[in-house]
Amino acid sequence: MKANPAKEVRLQKNAPSRARHFWQTQRFKTNMPLWLMFVPVIIFYLVFKYAPMAGLVIAFKNYTFYEGIWGSQWVGFDNFQMLFTQAQSLQIIRNTLLLSVLSVVVAFPFPIILAIMLNEARKKWFQRTVQTLVYLPHFFSWVIVGGLVVTIFAQTGIVNVLLERLTGQSFAFLFHEGSWVAIFLGSGIWKDAGFSAIIYLAALTSIDPSLYEASSIDGAGKWKQIRHITLPGIAPTIVIMLILAMGRVMEVGFDQVYVLQNSIVSGISEVISTYIYAIGLQGGQFSLTAALGLFESLVAFVLVLITNAVARRFGKGLW
Amino acid sequence: MRSTKGERTFYLFNYILLTLAGILCLLPLLHLASLSLSGKNAVLSGFVSLWPKEITFESYRLLFQGTPILQSFGNSVLITVVGVAMSMIVTICAAYPLARREFYGRRWISLAIVFTMLFTGGLIPTYLVVSSLGLVNTYGALWLPALVSTYNMMIMRSFFENIPEELVEAARIDGSGEWRLLVRIVLPLSLPVLATIGLFYGVYYWNSFFNVMIYINSPEKLNLTVLIQQMVRSQSVLQEINAMDTQQAVNITPEGIKAAGIMVMIIPMLVVYPLLQRYFVKGVTIGAIKG
Repeated sequence: MKANPAKEVRLQKNAPSRARHFWQTQRFKTNMPLWLMFVPVIIFYLVFKYAPMAGLVIAFKNYTFYEGIWGSQWVGFDNFQMLFTQAQSLQIIRNTLLLSVLSVVVAFPFPIILAIMLNEARKKWFQRTVQTLVYLPHFFSWVIVGGLVVTIFAQTGIVNVLLERLTGQSFAFLFHEGSWVAIFLGSGIWKDAGFSAIIYLAALTSIDPSLYEASSIDGAGKWKQIRHITLPGIAPTIVIMLILAMGRVMEVGFDQVYVLQNSIVSGISEVISTYIYAIGLQGGQFSLTAALGLFESLVAFVLVLITNAVARRFGKGLW
Repeated sequence: MRSTKGERTFYLFNYILLTLAGILCLLPLLHLASLSLSGKNAVLSGFVSLWPKEITFESYRLLFQGTPILQSFGNSVLITVVGVAMSMIVTICAAYPLARREFYGRRWISLAIVFTMLFTGGLIPTYLVVSSLGLVNTYGALWLPALVSTYNMMIMRSFFENIPEELVEAARIDGSGEWRLLVRIVLPLSLPVLATIGLFYGVYYWNSFFNVMIYINSPEKLNLTVLIQQMVRSQSVLQEINAMDTQQAVNITPEGIKAAGIMVMIIPMLVVYPLLQRYFVKGVTIGAIKG
């Protein structure tokens, strides 16, 4: 709550002098109900966030169902050794990094461009309509988007029908690695660009309009204005979004990959999250995949720290 | 100010590109809707693009008769309604105390909570915790681990923090207790953020896919998302339909039924979305500005 210093001092001075015991003070009387309210929250975070962190210890053990977490045998770094020498897991880590870095890099400019364009639209009703249309896909589950993609790019789908009419041949879009990656990235952009654009739009509206007026009096055209006023104006937002994206680099989402993948392109489409699902949960190899998960979390954590330290150098950190 | 020639071409370009972007988002939906309403020959011959040919509702009829789609729709509704209610209550219980300056231990707790956003135990340990609580194959496994989304909670907290201290003091002087303060004063003032966060949770629960896949085993407990995904990728569901109703199924292709299934997922969104979308925009901008 926004504080009013004079009142706060008055209240604090009065309360303790009249109270005999701590539980009669205003401070206690306010805090008790708040703490009561907060207890379930503490339980939640302990059980579902911190307990799993402790459970990561099975990455260093050979977990079996019968022995449980504490009874399972300690194997030190064996699981990690197995992970980093197996060609398959190295390929999976490579895929994860490749897909997520590409996603961030390729997808990054689109929301920004979209937001700038929307901001420049003169008629409000037009802006609002396009905005509504463009961030609708964000609310679809990946099952929907995946279903759309699989239907449209199928062998007998509409894209191949048109392609056959033009060139007489069809192309198995989803079964070649290159085109699969392109579709993967494209569907990601289609789904989320509009929604990210809202964030940039919000930042755009905070730019002082008189800057634009002054610059156009000085003879600046649209491009110059965008380069020298708009982009620097939203630079802090861009940096923050980049930091957040970096933190999620290892986290190629399960949903998106799972709905789009197939066995033919598994060389590029198998990522850490789907691998953990297949081998860990379905295959029962808990320790191995817990080790992989630990690796993933650590890398993400370090990346966020690094990216933030770098941003701080330029004066714009997250904290 | 009269716009220069350069400016006018820019605006024209802008409008064209934006219109294309908008259309791009609409086209796939139109195509899918047409597929779901078209007869067999039209679909197979590939003539269906943006408008159904040989309009028929057979796909939908077979879908509703031959698959447990209604049941899973109901499951999705149950998961969403209960999930949103539970999450909202606990999130408020988290955001409100953290927004109060007198809350003892506020800084450390906030730190501990933000830390969970940076580092997680991962899937396997979380799965083990959930299963040791006996929640596998129950909806509790969907609700309990998702009670609080730290991101949503922080949005709510910054909103609460912006409520003027004077109001709190005035209520306190009038002899109001903390609970009453929360329920009678703070919450009614917070309806916009409550609506927004409620919608965020609603979308999350409605679209649950991965969680349902890993925790729910019984077919009758599946939600709409998983059912439709199974239908789109595997042939077994469609074979059941074919086996069941071969005479009727003569005019239908698997693609048509799949398209109908996906449409059943899309249509509730389309209905609800225009009414609620401005709350989403507001919520995202609040969250973005507060960072």
